[in-house]
Amino acid sequence: MKLQDLLSQLFTEGSNIVTTDWLVTGDATVAGKPISILGTTNHTFIGVREVVVLSEKFLDIVERFPGRPILMLVDNNGQRMALDEELLVLPEYIANLLKAEQVARLAGCKLIAIVYGNTVAGGFIGFGMGADRVVSVPGGETSVMKLEAISRVTKMPLEKLQALAAKVSVFAPGSENFYKMGGIYEMWTDQFPNRLQHLVGSDISKDLRVQLGHERGGREAAQAIIEDVLQS
Amino acid sequence: MNPNSHISYLEATARRRIAGLLDPGTFHEFIPPTLKRVSPHLGLFDAPVAFDDGAIIGDGKLDGKDVYVFAQEGKFRGGSLGEVHSAKITGLLRRAAQRKPAAVIGLFDSGGVRLEEANAGEIGATEIIRGIFDAQKAGVPVIGLLGGGTGCFGGAGITSCCCDALIASEEGRLSVSGPEVIETVMGVEAFDSRDRALVWRTTGGKNRFLFGTVAELVDDHIPAFRSAVIGAMTAQKPLRVADLKQDLERLKKRIEAYGECSDATQIWQKMGLDAENVAAMSSQELKAEKEHIVKI
Repeated sequence: MKLQDLLSQLFTEGSNIVTTDWLVTGDATVAGKPISILGTTNHTFIGVREVVVLSEKFLDIVERFPGRPILMLVDNNGQRMALDEELLVLPEYIANLLKAEQVARLAGCKLIAIVYGNTVAGGFIGFGMGADRVVSVPGGETSVMKLEAISRVTKMPLEKLQALAAKVSVFAPGSENFYKMGGIYEMWTDQFPNRLQHLVGSDISKDLRVQLGHERGGREAAQAIIEDVLQS
Repeated sequence: MNPNSHISYLEATARRRIAGLLDPGTFHEFIPPTLKRVSPHLGLFDAPVAFDDGAIIGDGKLDGKDVYVFAQEGKFRGGSLGEVHSAKITGLLRRAAQRKPAAVIGLFDSGGVRLEEANAGEIGATEIIRGIFDAQKAGVPVIGLLGGGTGCFGGAGITSCCCDALIASEEGRLSVSGPEVIETVMGVEAFDSRDRALVWRTTGGKNRFLFGTVAELVDDHIPAFRSAVIGAMTAQKPLRVADLKQDLERLKKRIEAYGECSDATQIWQKMGLDAENVAAMSSQELKAEKEHIVKI
């Protein structure tokens, strides 16, 4: 959904948000308390320059408002795919962003990500999936790689991939698939303020994704594997 | 065994790497292949499975200390992150956070997310990252090794950079989008993946070492990796805002200094190196050279 629609539906108690061509920053009031907002828009690509800005904002928020929840608004078309990005070691940049998210978590900031646009592969790993809870709203689309590209890389016929995608959640794009695999905690369609208020007020410190993937039938092997390793 | 003989890390299997890295005979595998915990998904694609799903995990001793190890087998589906593969590594890291071994050593050799299990693999990568952070929070350093034939790409590449320290040979390649993927998606003019020299100098261990992403550069020799890991086992960066800010300054300066470069040779020239000779230098020679260059 459009950023402006999301913001107006999400924040009924007031907000102060600044948007550039790709960056969203600000704060809002949820259940009478302030939360910090950091997001991206216009399907931006996540490259070294975007990461530097996002990391800096994260660290700034942690220093100024430790303990305050951070809402991450997610819309990207993935990592910037280019030789010069990789030349500068893009994975190190994305890892810095993930560490900034972790340092926020260590400072007591709850991290909640809302997928409202696209979110793809390395972009989603760096900005979105590092949150304590990831939710989607209508129009939020998650993917690793489009079926056409999977077909080109794996040399599997597209028709076969399309037929499989209709049956299983494990590989094809779509928030519904990520939900079934446990990667999306909830898919919101209405009552955004109430739902956000509830998440902000809950203990969301434990990573539940393996368990949810199991309960929803998307990942039936992972939970038993982890339990067996813990008990080995 | 002749201590001077060359034991290639690059050419060894993941199991051979573990055996050569740890104190002899100390490795004990969790969920070994005899249990046949195979991928529940690959069959849908008529793809072969492996009894270890390309991930080997367990505990052992290194220099007499208790350590945990995970190793990706690049020869099985490019060491890719599937559901079972990722869960084994996540399980090991969660166990490390509980039981606190002296270190977790990760032998990365992965093309990234397994496309047949793309969603499970991508979520799995972020569960591994969370596992690394939780182990670090518990005081357990996580040390990553790059030197396998597949390299370390995509979600695995990002994951490896969350480690406390990376040790690599020049053969160890690291990036997010691999050359083949950039070529497939963006076209051959964006990245010619058949140009091996271009691939090596862009993503290879030397470039990553000169930038400081890789803490220690070693020769393609398993005992050399072993010595470097022993040396790195005390290295532990607590995650603090001040340190991350410093790190970020370094990354910003890198963009300012080299952001316009389109080839590693331009970067090396700017650093003050004899760019044409970097490819031919041994890890020792390059380490000596690095002492004299502009450090960014």
